[in-house]
Amino acid sequence: MFHWLERNPFFFAVGVFLVVAYAGVVTILPDFMESARPVVGTKPYSVLELAGRQIYIKDSCNACHSQLVRPFKSETDRYGMYSLSGEYAYDRPFLWGSKRTGPDLMRVGNYRTTDWHEYHMLNPKSVVPGSIMPAYKHMFKNNADIDTAYAEAYTVKTVFNVPYDKPDMPKLGTFDEAKKDAFEAAAVIVADMKSTEVKEAFKRGEIKEIVALVAYLNSLK
Amino acid sequence: MNWLNDNVNVLALMGAAAILILTIFVVGKYMRQMQNDKSSGELTKDNWDGIGEYKNPLPIGWALSFLGTIIWGLWYFLVGYPLNSYSQIGEYNEEVKSYNTHFESKFSNPDKTTLMGMGEGVFLVQCAPCHGVTGDGMNGKALNLSKWGNEDAVVATILNGAKGSDYPLGEMPAGLLDAESAKAVAAFMFKEISEVKNTKHPELIESGRALWATCAACHGDDGKGMAGSSPDLSTYGASKFVVNVLGMGKKGMIGNMPKFNDGRLTNVQKLAVGTYVNSLSK
Repeated sequence: MFHWLERNPFFFAVGVFLVVAYAGVVTILPDFMESARPVVGTKPYSVLELAGRQIYIKDSCNACHSQLVRPFKSETDRYGMYSLSGEYAYDRPFLWGSKRTGPDLMRVGNYRTTDWHEYHMLNPKSVVPGSIMPAYKHMFKNNADIDTAYAEAYTVKTVFNVPYDKPDMPKLGTFDEAKKDAFEAAAVIVADMKSTEVKEAFKRGEIKEIVALVAYLNSLK
Repeated sequence: MNWLNDNVNVLALMGAAAILILTIFVVGKYMRQMQNDKSSGELTKDNWDGIGEYKNPLPIGWALSFLGTIIWGLWYFLVGYPLNSYSQIGEYNEEVKSYNTHFESKFSNPDKTTLMGMGEGVFLVQCAPCHGVTGDGMNGKALNLSKWGNEDAVVATILNGAKGSDYPLGEMPAGLLDAESAKAVAAFMFKEISEVKNTKHPELIESGRALWATCAACHGDDGKGMAGSSPDLSTYGASKFVVNVLGMGKKGMIGNMPKFNDGRLTNVQKLAVGTYVNSLSK
């Protein structure tokens, strides 16, 4: 039989595939359906948080920051509880990252606050001596894109049945309702910030990128 | 030339010499074989792009270990892995359990030096990002801990008010007393209410006692915060106060301090942070 396989590369490849696929089946599948469901308490992102998430992706935060706490004592001591796959149920795309130039951000909302993020994004070295992270001053100038964030939320609600507007889940509603909610959420964050530029822009009805990004970072718990 | 005295160097040289001699012998043997040997074996009928293959029987040892690995592989594929499934989380749980047991037995009764060392370590990881490596608050970005936990800090709090840690009685308004009275109350509080039981201004204790009613309205006559309605001042200046703030977080004048109650810090570690933080102002 092996002699025959050696002369038939196609069936040899099929044989290799079957053997490797079996290993995948027994290691991945048994737990997959269960663990991929949303963990109790995991909720879809609000519109403001989604706008922040889009900025996180746009500025490639995930190139240096992972969002995955591995089950090692040294990691859980520093970052908190290890990550479960169900916690990423509403992450599209997931932002696990593959390299930690900076620290993991999976649960950064537990141990950093709005005012800290503000100092840090303006000038990372002012709070973390020796940090090699660049400053993100443009986030205090550019406006967050609430419209696109609503479009994303509406799309995943319609196409993937993400449970917006369900009991105990974030409200989405119409665009005007969502925009009003985003401004209410942003007001809380702006109140905790010091930048007069951001505060005045908010009074004019503009949400700066930094506000949305902080909303997203604070939601990571 | 004393590097021959080193055992590792001598071993490495001997190893290098042995490899060299073996290489010469082996290469020499095959060179001669290639020059002199004639093929005598029987060829199989396979022909791989002009290269033939001898019909050599597999050495018995190889054959047996090959068969053995096939049998073990089948067992591992069908029974070994699927039924005795290894779990990464299980290994993590065991690691944490053995660590915690070790930690608890080692630090069941830590002395002050141990707490200070541990507190500094935890402080640098968890507190320094906001309060600064030295605890100075980095130019007003967070509370300057070197000016906290003493009588001057109490005076400053009375004059400026405090937002507190979300206690039922809410924020403490600014300017409840003037500067002189505040100093007296602080002296009384440190001598009579707080665990510190010591004041820099013993002459002010009695006038402070008379003014204590202002504070007692919220903190209670004994300063213990009326069963959780407001901060317990009897622990002020001691580690327990810091432990409490770590658990409750704080909505400060400068910014918000997060709660540290998600299990990242053990009780001993919190106590250690308290000891270290209180030492910063002494």
